[in-house]
Amino acid sequence: MRIETVTLADFRNYRKQTVELASGLNFFIGANGEGKTNFLESIYALALSKSYKAEDREMVRFESPFARARASVMSSAGRTDLQLILAEDGKKALANGQEVKRLSDYVGILNVVLFAPEDMNLVKGSPVDRRYFLDVVLGQIDKRYLDDLSAYKHALKQRNELLKQAQPGKDIDRDLLDVLTEQLAAAGEAVIAKRSAFIAALDRKAAKAYQFLSVKQEDLGLTYQPSVAENLLPALKARYRSDLLSGTTNHGPHRDDLGFMLNGMPAASFASQGEQRMIVLAVDLALVEYIEETKRERPLFLLDDVLSELDREKQNRLLRRLMETGIQAIVTATELTDIAADIIGSARIFKVAQGTIKEEHHGQ
Amino acid sequence: MRYPQSLEALITEFMKYPGVGRKTAERFALYTIHRLDGESAQAFADAIRHAKSSIHMCPTCGHLTDQERCEVCADPLRDGSRILVVESAKDVFSIEKAGDYHGLYHVLNGALSPINGIGPEELNLKSLWPRVQEERVKEIIIATGATQEGEATAMYIRRILKDTDLLVTRIAYGVPVGANLEFADDATLAKAIQNRRSF
Repeated sequence: MRIETVTLADFRNYRKQTVELASGLNFFIGANGEGKTNFLESIYALALSKSYKAEDREMVRFESPFARARASVMSSAGRTDLQLILAEDGKKALANGQEVKRLSDYVGILNVVLFAPEDMNLVKGSPVDRRYFLDVVLGQIDKRYLDDLSAYKHALKQRNELLKQAQPGKDIDRDLLDVLTEQLAAAGEAVIAKRSAFIAALDRKAAKAYQFLSVKQEDLGLTYQPSVAENLLPALKARYRSDLLSGTTNHGPHRDDLGFMLNGMPAASFASQGEQRMIVLAVDLALVEYIEETKRERPLFLLDDVLSELDREKQNRLLRRLMETGIQAIVTATELTDIAADIIGSARIFKVAQGTIKEEHHGQ
Repeated sequence: MRYPQSLEALITEFMKYPGVGRKTAERFALYTIHRLDGESAQAFADAIRHAKSSIHMCPTCGHLTDQERCEVCADPLRDGSRILVVESAKDVFSIEKAGDYHGLYHVLNGALSPINGIGPEELNLKSLWPRVQEERVKEIIIATGATQEGEATAMYIRRILKDTDLLVTRIAYGVPVGANLEFADDATLAKAIQNRRSF
């Protein structure tokens, strides 16, 4: 799939802006603070109905009542006009002019894979960051996953509230605890099965992508680390005592983690900054491939400020690969001095300055 | 500028109704003053007072009635071998309107939800247990909602009744009658396929 045009109105530092994107590589060049990342963020928000790094209201231009982002998306399903309107009193997501009320019906119309500097948290951050990554990505690919996840979170809230009511000397209704535990386990098992299958598929693809990027025989591994090894229902039932004592549910998908191993060692503590960045990039490349296989639709690849962190050879390897696969990519950079002429020649180049985007024509 | 005190008091009362916010309450209150004549206003007040004093819960099933027992429980022609359990009196009216069910009801007045402070004690369950022990009762049909709370309530009742000889059933979920499959949401379609029957 690809985006033909993006139109922004009062989005971040853009007052009014229309951009016609090329189907392959699109470079957005400018100094820091001019609006490159903001443009990327608008495409991400159109896909996921929210930003990856800010509250909704932060995306509205200063002193404007609302912001609007709009994209014309071409996919195998035909052309879809997506619109996201962010206002003080809430937001609206529209597809072909019709408001889409259920998040799970909207997310997935436009698929994106994002590499942002913040993604470094995937390797070295906390399990919360990694679960968030899993949930956002899986939610984009499989809309039933979002339903399973929200059923799980709701049942978890109910069960934790009941556990909180247990006081020494005041017992709670055990039948109700059993019932809520069964509900939690049923929704939780669905979440676990999907996470587990996803990580197994991503593992093989990411290992290959890492070798491609590093040009060395290095071995990247992704492992699912569920909070309990056994089936969820017996696991929860065996731990009633500790749950009642602590007044909360101590095990389940809300405590899962995802591990990265580089050459057999945990990447969070042993991989260098540069290696961690390459791991994230390899995961993103694997993700592109995975989405393409499962959805029969090639996602957009959004790369924010990735080039400056890679050496010249790796920059060109990455971009040439993207160019050859024909994926639509939006790449931000401060300059293109290290990029080979044939790659630049195939791409569309935009200059970003003070909230205005202008296409730069080759040879100028 | 504030509303006169008695008008403000009326607005406050209207705001206690579900789905009525400040703006709607103001419209209702001003309408009452401008448009209702004395007689209509009196009739409105009387209707509230009368409904409140004469309507109560049926001691047997929990449905609403202005008689000693509700219309269904008092009807000797109803099929006493079945009890259909619902969350609210509104559900009874809906099912009666459909006209296909001839058994008895039991109204819980809610569904289990610890986050809303509703446990088994808060529901009209105490009067259900003696009913199910009656000789003539053979089947309990659980028709609570297809929400997490409705499902939890259904599972809870099934658990309590598991050592009895009663047939415990749950109403089916599926595709709305007269609608094309394309209009059903994914979760409903998945449920409909899971709960398919031989045909």
